Amino acid sequence: MSDNVVTSASSGRRRVATTIIDAVRKRSQLAGLAGVLLALVIVFQIGNPIYLSAGNVLEVLRAATLYFIVACPMTLVIVSGGIDFSAGALFATGGVAAGFAMVSGVPWPLAVLFGIAAGGALGVVNGILTVYFRVPPLIATISMFFVASGVITVLTGGVSLSGFPKTFTDLGQGFLAGIPFLVFYAIAVGIIFWVVLEKTPLGYDARAVGGNRAAASANGIRVNRHDLIVYGLAGAVAALAGIMGAARLASAAPQAGGTAFTFQVVTAVIIGGTSLFGGIGGIGGSALGALLFASINNGLVVIGVNALWQNIFVGVILAGAVAIDQARRRRQFTSRR
Amino acid sequence: MTAADRRAPALELRQITKRFGRVTALEGVDLVANPGEILAIVGDNGAGKSTLIKTISGVYRPDGGEILVNGAPVSLSNPADARAAGVATVFQDLALVECLDVSTNMFLGQLPRKGWFVDRKKMDEESRRFLDELKVTVADVHTQIGMLSGGQRQIISIARAVRAGAHTVLLDEPTAALGVRETQHAAEIIQTLRDAGNAVICVSHDMEFVFKIADRVQVMRLGKVAGTRTVSETSRDEVIALITGAKKEAA
Repeated sequence: MSDNVVTSASSGRRRVATTIIDAVRKRSQLAGLAGVLLALVIVFQIGNPIYLSAGNVLEVLRAATLYFIVACPMTLVIVSGGIDFSAGALFATGGVAAGFAMVSGVPWPLAVLFGIAAGGALGVVNGILTVYFRVPPLIATISMFFVASGVITVLTGGVSLSGFPKTFTDLGQGFLAGIPFLVFYAIAVGIIFWVVLEKTPLGYDARAVGGNRAAASANGIRVNRHDLIVYGLAGAVAALAGIMGAARLASAAPQAGGTAFTFQVVTAVIIGGTSLFGGIGGIGGSALGALLFASINNGLVVIGVNALWQNIFVGVILAGAVAIDQARRRRQFTSRR
Repeated sequence: MTAADRRAPALELRQITKRFGRVTALEGVDLVANPGEILAIVGDNGAGKSTLIKTISGVYRPDGGEILVNGAPVSLSNPADARAAGVATVFQDLALVECLDVSTNMFLGQLPRKGWFVDRKKMDEESRRFLDELKVTVADVHTQIGMLSGGQRQIISIARAVRAGAHTVLLDEPTAALGVRETQHAAEIIQTLRDAGNAVICVSHDMEFVFKIADRVQVMRLGKVAGTRTVSETSRDEVIALITGAKKEAA
């Protein structure tokens, strides 16, 4: 019997070639993003030499950190084929819950755990709504956004909490070798989520569930359980970021996060090349996306462009990123059947 | 068939009945699938082939009758039960994830682990080994499924079923979406599968394909078995007569 050759010799070379092209293309998307970032940096630097000063670069990094920390689990959610628009509210919930505990005399480490648990629990509720009540993730998480922000606004009377222990606020405000602690937290969270997505069963399952939910289920992946874990994780990490924000400002506001923050996190992930249709994406892209975002916000101010232009910029880039993603998908999957 | 004489059937259905309300989709269906044998199931639309596939793969529970795997009665109440019993179904839609590569798809839902992590090396090596066993050479097990043709996907799906430890492989219209050359490849894979001692059940409309690869052919008509023939001892005309009901078997 002759060998059944999935890739015959002649098409084998072509296959190898396409694999290489594909790998380059995969990187090239990140490279393209890095290129855009570099071009912007150059423009901003020419516009105002202060842009690349150590102080301003740190400012950009610090602004990017909280977006990025929330963008990490958001990447996992979107790769799994979902979306989480409650992130901004769960961010505030984390800060307020931990702040409330601390103000009530709970030791700060326990208060932090309490805040994370609150966010995680609400995240699991997101998952339950989508999995068991068949509410589309978009609607479930928007509903959660309203309910969670409503509850914390009512509980606090709309007033920010403050008067936290110094150890706690130091953790949000401190510097190591001139670099804010927050940047190190972001790097740690980024590394953890990169490992989760690229190396662990949870990450592999995320791509399978997002890529073809029916196939994942038919092959024994517990898709419902996966969603609960992923949404729970997203809520917990959003709350953690909110707690870090509260530590940095020494104040926990029920208005923290909000819609703007949520949109910016989702946008950073999408600009970073994670597909809204699931299956494809990564943490590296989200990091660049968050950085691009923070650079634009900061750079436009630094070169004296009216701040009102920021949103226009971001909108154009977002639409462009999704258009590129769609073109990429078409190219990749037209060879089917 | 020589092996079949010595061993119990890999899969046996006895007097399986399945009703949907007042409609009887399967009535008293017997089926024997032997190790090292390709059994083709043919029949017109509405003959009960789909219901039969879904009953064997655990999607439907029969209302009556018995299913035996290697001579022992089993209850297949969901697809996981069927898989655990060693009966794998390769559906027409194949259930592959396009954006993932070959080896990840081969291990979907059963990733090998090394502590907290996926054992990527083991996954790649075993994928290659299983594909080699089926005499399929893959240039790169990191190729995305989305880059493969329908026939190549079919082969990967079959390989996955075998990798998951199936001794009985049920194929639903394996050639429906394939071109001539790919059909040839699929036929060779299916024969390799048989030669390795697996029981293969092939539901197909493709008479030419059936007569080329099958050892026996079972004809379904109106939810009943219209007849079972050894391929070498029958003719296409006889099988077609059984399908259309022009020829009836004395019960």
